[in-house]
Amino acid sequence: MTRRVPILRQNGILIASIQEELSDGDILALQSRILSDVVSINAKAVVIDVSALDVLDSFGTRTLTEIASSVELRGARTIIVGIQPEVAMAMVLLGLDFRNIATAFDLDHAFDLLRAA
Amino acid sequence: MPQVISSSVTAEPSVDEAALYFDISQADKELVSHLESTSDEMGDILIESFYAHIMGHEEAAQHFRDESHLERVKRGQKRYFADLITAPLDDAYIEDRRRIGQIHERARVSPTLYIGAYSYYLTRLGDHVRQTMKDDPEQAFAIAFALMKLAHFDMALALETFVSAREDTIQAREREISELPTPVLKLQDGLLLIPVVGTLDSFRARALTLQLLEGIREHRARAVVLDITGVAAVDSAVANHLIQSMAAARLMGAQSVLTGLSAEVAQSLVKVGVTGEALNTAGDLQSGIVLATKLMHG
Repeated sequence: MTRRVPILRQNGILIASIQEELSDGDILALQSRILSDVVSINAKAVVIDVSALDVLDSFGTRTLTEIASSVELRGARTIIVGIQPEVAMAMVLLGLDFRNIATAFDLDHAFDLLRAA
Repeated sequence: MPQVISSSVTAEPSVDEAALYFDISQADKELVSHLESTSDEMGDILIESFYAHIMGHEEAAQHFRDESHLERVKRGQKRYFADLITAPLDDAYIEDRRRIGQIHERARVSPTLYIGAYSYYLTRLGDHVRQTMKDDPEQAFAIAFALMKLAHFDMALALETFVSAREDTIQAREREISELPTPVLKLQDGLLLIPVVGTLDSFRARALTLQLLEGIREHRARAVVLDITGVAAVDSAVANHLIQSMAAARLMGAQSVLTGLSAEVAQSLVKVGVTGEALNTAGDLQSGIVLATKLMHG
């Protein structure tokens, strides 16, 4: 079963909230939908909420990094929101660190960051 | 009863070492066994008179204020002295002596009391030997010396155990101290301060990471100041752990600032390949808080 992650739009900002574990295929589908949306509405930022996830594997991390890099090529920003403590620790131990991507605690924090920029 | 694990730092005497260091031979054992009947009949008397002797002291009276406890100790002591004379010198004997040493440590029997009781017993017993064997002073001397060797070996066993049990106690205390929780303090909305004091070993560093991340979640923190002024030294494993903690904090959206690095800590961080660019650092807590506040507001 494929899961379709809803992508909300607000003032030129795309908000994708991942509510459950996604298969690799689901993540790839999300990637292409986000990128086509970024192009179609000329979004200035993408916020991806992963607070419901208990695990972020290397494939998920790499795809999120790819999304961020592509979005950046369109001149927009990406913020990953809501990485849980356990997930953060596991990622660091695996050497996954979202090096060049902004992270935020919650949506409020993400919007603050976007306003400040 | 919790088993006290004897530490391997001190050499543990074995039967072989008894023969080596204390020059105890089978002949000594046989000489001493002549005292069996004497020790049987004198054991109770000597022990009674010893306690009558020391109970005059306040400290001893305090230690033995419980009557049943005193009786138990006396019984144990009688068996202890009887074993000295009759028990074969083997691993079971050494094991038993060591166990008694542990009991002494737990019961806070001081070496003074232990050796004092021993000395009291030996001199009285020696006196008895001297008086009863007036016709054969050679033999009396030989027996007394053999007894002394065994007694010294006995004391060595008990004291080695005593010391190693103490060391275990000290180590346990140190472990308790190292497991002291590190407080997570809220300086203002979204800004946390974690002062780390003491020794950072891998165990504590891991606990620190969890506290840091839980603290961020609980307080919805956007910046954290990690002050390690109170940390004397970190090894490279712990330095790595600190870096990982800060990376994990960043993944959660919180910026972290490391302050109060001592010269040694700075050096060990450089050794694991950390540079100031990858890490927000500040010299002292004050500038660290200023930096964190700036980072917090983008």
